[in-house]
Amino acid sequence: MRALIRQIGHGIVVVAIVATATFVLVRVAPGDPFAGALDNAHLTPAIREQYRAAYGLDGNIATQYVRWISSLLHGDLGWSVSTNRPVARIIADALPNTLLLMGFSLTLAFAAGMALGAFQAARQNRAADHAIGFVTLFGTALPDFWLAMVLLLAGASWLRIFPVGGAADPLLPLAASFGTVMRDRLLHLALPVLTLVILITAPVARQQRAALLDRLGADWVRTATAKGVAPRAVFRRHAWRTALGPVVTLGGLALPALVGGSVFVENVFGWPGMGALAAGAIATRDYHLVVGCVLVGAVMVVVGSIIADQLTQRLDPRTLQLDHDDGRVTT
Amino acid sequence: MPRLRALLLIPLLTISACRAAKDAPPAAAKDSPGGTIVVSTAGGPDNLMPPITVQNAGTQVEDLIFQHLANVGPALNTVGDEGFTPDLATRWDWAADSLSIAFHLDPDARWHDGERVRAADVAFTFALYTDAKTGSAAAAQLANIDSVTVRDSATAVFWFKKRAPDQFFQAAMQMQILPEHLLRALDRTTLASSTFASQPIGSGPFRLVRWESGKTVELAVDTTGGRRRAILDRVIFTQAPDPVTAFTRVATGEADLYEAVRPDKVAEVLKNPQLRLIIAPTLNYTFLSLNLVDPATGKPHPVFSDRAVRRALTMATDRRSIVANMYDSLAVQARGPFTSAQASADTTLAVLPYAVDSANKLLDAAGWVRGADSLRRKNGRLLTFAIAVPSSSVARMRAAVLFQEQFRRVGADVKVESSDNSAFGARMSARRYDATIGSWAQDAGPANARDAWTTAAAAKGLNNFGAYRSAAFDAELDSALTMMSAVESHRHFTHAWKIITDDAPAIWLAEPKLAMAINSRFVTTGMRSDSWWAGLPKWYIPADKRIARDAPATLAR
Repeated sequence: MRALIRQIGHGIVVVAIVATATFVLVRVAPGDPFAGALDNAHLTPAIREQYRAAYGLDGNIATQYVRWISSLLHGDLGWSVSTNRPVARIIADALPNTLLLMGFSLTLAFAAGMALGAFQAARQNRAADHAIGFVTLFGTALPDFWLAMVLLLAGASWLRIFPVGGAADPLLPLAASFGTVMRDRLLHLALPVLTLVILITAPVARQQRAALLDRLGADWVRTATAKGVAPRAVFRRHAWRTALGPVVTLGGLALPALVGGSVFVENVFGWPGMGALAAGAIATRDYHLVVGCVLVGAVMVVVGSIIADQLTQRLDPRTLQLDHDDGRVTT
Repeated sequence: MPRLRALLLIPLLTISACRAAKDAPPAAAKDSPGGTIVVSTAGGPDNLMPPITVQNAGTQVEDLIFQHLANVGPALNTVGDEGFTPDLATRWDWAADSLSIAFHLDPDARWHDGERVRAADVAFTFALYTDAKTGSAAAAQLANIDSVTVRDSATAVFWFKKRAPDQFFQAAMQMQILPEHLLRALDRTTLASSTFASQPIGSGPFRLVRWESGKTVELAVDTTGGRRRAILDRVIFTQAPDPVTAFTRVATGEADLYEAVRPDKVAEVLKNPQLRLIIAPTLNYTFLSLNLVDPATGKPHPVFSDRAVRRALTMATDRRSIVANMYDSLAVQARGPFTSAQASADTTLAVLPYAVDSANKLLDAAGWVRGADSLRRKNGRLLTFAIAVPSSSVARMRAAVLFQEQFRRVGADVKVESSDNSAFGARMSARRYDATIGSWAQDAGPANARDAWTTAAAAKGLNNFGAYRSAAFDAELDSALTMMSAVESHRHFTHAWKIITDDAPAIWLAEPKLAMAINSRFVTTGMRSDSWWAGLPKWYIPADKRIARDAPATLAR
């Protein structure tokens, strides 16, 4: 419990450092949040300066930082210049979309990756193992934006089965039936989820296969086999369970993506999630929105790491032994 | 070859588009209103508060929600009121001395919340636009209007400081009339973050149904006012993350219109039987701006302050090849700081020719001597400068590289500095560049050049970034903007264009054309060079070409 509290304390410090660093870096980076419509001859730099003051972006960085901290303590993440809405509301709109996309994708990808890895490990060095190994190696090497573009071209432009982008059909009537709405959502989800599943399944499968092969050669597995435990039970209870550790760690590292989204995939498919939001905010130098996105992302990284640590310790008791410190069990 | 064929077809398509523009909707279409147009865009509105809207995407939506007092005609004449058509005002009277105009409002005009539109709204709108706290870019265009008074509830009178040829345009077109009863209490320094800026109430042909920032703007036809009903039921703007996706939505039939077809997509549009290509002139021009002030020292620029060097660089530029490379056939060469579609244009203006030998001689005479490395030097200083471009613009990046190559032939060492759009914008505002490929999107008014090229606009905080200063040009332009005779005004404009193009503070490159892909089921009319959407309330879909989404409007999810 003490370790957990310590982890949370460290996490708060990390989040504060990340948010502060981002706040400073986006402001010292060259750029102008009011650079829009540069070709409008009537919109002068003097007017842009006036807008800057109206949004509280005048003054030096220290002054702006104090203002921002003060707002943050009141639960206000600031105002987005590029969308003219409160940052908190924008994130609240984008977050569910990313959770849906990434939740679906990670669940499917981890389930498929673990199953494939286990299948490969059980058939080590056979044709099926080699074939899947080749496919997963290929999947690991695929650039995400390239795969997304190919699937978009094939699914939306050539076959015209799926919509070109977005999370829902803006023309769907309010009176549409539940079935119609669900079908629409699934059609919009299909291509981005397929892209992410292909991209994530490959490394998970390779990690799972390697971990299982390592455990299958372990002493306790040999002992269990010698004791006459059924091969399937040996595989599932003694090898597979302990081989989950590296995959769980991978899952922990992937958890922030639940919030951060996949920038490239969201952009290619026009998915209105956190990844596309953050990318757009950086491009437009929407300072408050950038810091808001990073803040939420940092919190999720910390939470993800803590959850992964806790899960690993539950799944593999050996990690408890490693955490003995001066005779104290730190979990 | 297919691409060549496609491009050869463009003039024919332009003509057919123009012909369609003159056609009035048939009676049958008026009798059976309905239909939905889905406009695919790569950017969304910044806000929907007309005085402070910056993005073109916002202006498009606002022009459908709000009304001007009158609309400029297709010829874009801004001298007097010739060609103007009634909008919120049904008629107007000029005072004998031309120092005031009384606008008589449509007595049946209603705000979308049911309130009557009154002359007081017009006076309030003027006060709002011109209040320094509002920070409206249009305020400078209203500087000649002294005040707006209310004669009676349906008559607003504009009082002018002096007679000007474009005074009617200033009054009628520079403001969209806003509801006083909804805006009176708002803090004018924070209008952009007000509820009204995201849920506007106007008096125009369409009312806002919903705006999901970054995704969709949906408008529905408004039938409460006395004006003639728009024929379409709904206008939906859907925002794509990038231009390619925005175009693909139209190509696949998910959307109906995309307004910025790139040259490499023209053939695809022409091949698609569901689509029609519309090519039309715009009021935009691109140019290579030469900074006459050294950004490092604030003193005259070591290269560009010399008129002979500027002229030499202009003559070393093969504009035809650069324009073709940037826009293919979707642009014509620009002659000066104006576009052919403007009444002030001089399409016969002689520009400095492309003549590399003459350019070399000019540089020799100016004391820039070629060295062994074939680069020129003067008093030990290399003839070198950088061209700043936004990395987001493929066309400008390409043009910068071509400039680099063409200037190298006359002994100049040019570097290309690219930065993302925000960083580029910051550089422009701070005037931290030697040369840059810029672009001005103008309105129909004649005063655009004043904001971008005069001595007054060279002051810090204004838009003459290159700091060109010429008393002769200022005087001619000033005369052109104050002459009441269209002929005299044009004569002064011509003189002004001659002076500035001879001085070469920029190399004017291109007038890009509008290239629009639209689903062929739409019959379009009333497009103007300053706004293709101007005639949208009169667009229609013949009954036999309607599809499922054209069914009587239901509120979207």
